[in-house]
Amino acid sequence: MTHGLPARVGRFVLVFLMALAALAALWSFAAPTYTRGIAALARPLFRLMESPNVTVLDVQGAETWIYRIVGEHEIAAFTWFDRYTFFAIVPLIALFVATPGLGWRRRIVRGLLGIGALSVAHVCYVVASVELAYAAMGLRTVGPLAARTLDGWQIAVRALWEAAPIAIWVALTYGAWKKVFAQLRNEERAEGTARASWIGALGALGWKKKEGTP
Amino acid sequence: MGDPMSKRTERRPNEARRASALQWLLSIAVAAAIVGLLITLAVDERAIGSLQRGYASAANSVLRLLGHPTQIAGNVVGTGDFGITVVTACTGLFTTALYLVAVALFPTTWMRKLAGVGIGICGIAILNIIRLVSLYYVGVHWPAALDVVHQLVWQSLFIAFAIALWLLWAGRAAARRGAAR
Repeated sequence: MTHGLPARVGRFVLVFLMALAALAALWSFAAPTYTRGIAALARPLFRLMESPNVTVLDVQGAETWIYRIVGEHEIAAFTWFDRYTFFAIVPLIALFVATPGLGWRRRIVRGLLGIGALSVAHVCYVVASVELAYAAMGLRTVGPLAARTLDGWQIAVRALWEAAPIAIWVALTYGAWKKVFAQLRNEERAEGTARASWIGALGALGWKKKEGTP
Repeated sequence: MGDPMSKRTERRPNEARRASALQWLLSIAVAAAIVGLLITLAVDERAIGSLQRGYASAANSVLRLLGHPTQIAGNVVGTGDFGITVVTACTGLFTTALYLVAVALFPTTWMRKLAGVGIGICGIAILNIIRLVSLYYVGVHWPAALDVVHQLVWQSLFIAFAIALWLLWAGRAAARRGAAR
């Protein structure tokens, strides 16, 4: 039953891990540029969220440092995002590389769409987690309901950050997997039909033998 | 007046579509409930504390079985020289929730979904204990690599494992549906 399934999943995992290893080696070179890009997109969002704008972003290598303006010409370090914060882009690309049944053109287009969507998720993660941290420390006023459910919001943001690469990949490759599952269904159906005709043939053989015996 | 037989055959696909839409809505509701439960569990200090201590205790038992004189103090496992702290992110809660949401949304029978839930929770929990034990080993014998193994290697392996587990379960469920037709 479903003999091809473990082999297919095994091949998918193997290609994923190989692509991941290769891309992870490249990530140390790409990470500072990607981090600078995320910071550049996050800055206007902070300006939009804050009045007055008190957050200053500084990228050091692949780390993002968050400073807060605490006085005239005075800033204080508030928090930082380590060099692994945006690493999920690597497993996301590896997932697209390993997905079966996608042509290379479609794979590249969907991969690029996926990278774009994950970048948006990363920008939102940086902004939301900093603003929620401000609220938790009383540095930003929020409504009574938001204040009561602040822990839940922080966990939700963290959960979305972790789930984003897989959710994006599933959304963009759902069609390909649907085809794989349909193929498995057809294989199983064909196997069932073959089994039924064998049973039928054996039954007919048995009936003939019985008829021949005196 | 049309043929009553043809009317009956016309109604059937509509009913099937309605039943399928209802099941889809129910699946979405279950998936939303799982997400809600995860957030409630992660916010509740007693619940998440118990989960953290449970994992720390399991990892400690395995390490002691392997001959390490480790001790457990709350959610910290280790010796005087080195210890690992099991925090919320180390419980595999987010990966488990994502897997459960994927199981809930897959179109199959509720019994098969229940089996998928059991397989996923057990599989991810076992992998998490292996992860904690391996991190202790890396921390003791190869401390320079601890950060990379913790943040990059295991994060990726967890993704690969959860997806592979789901694909095996979903593929089998889809094939059985084919065999049943």
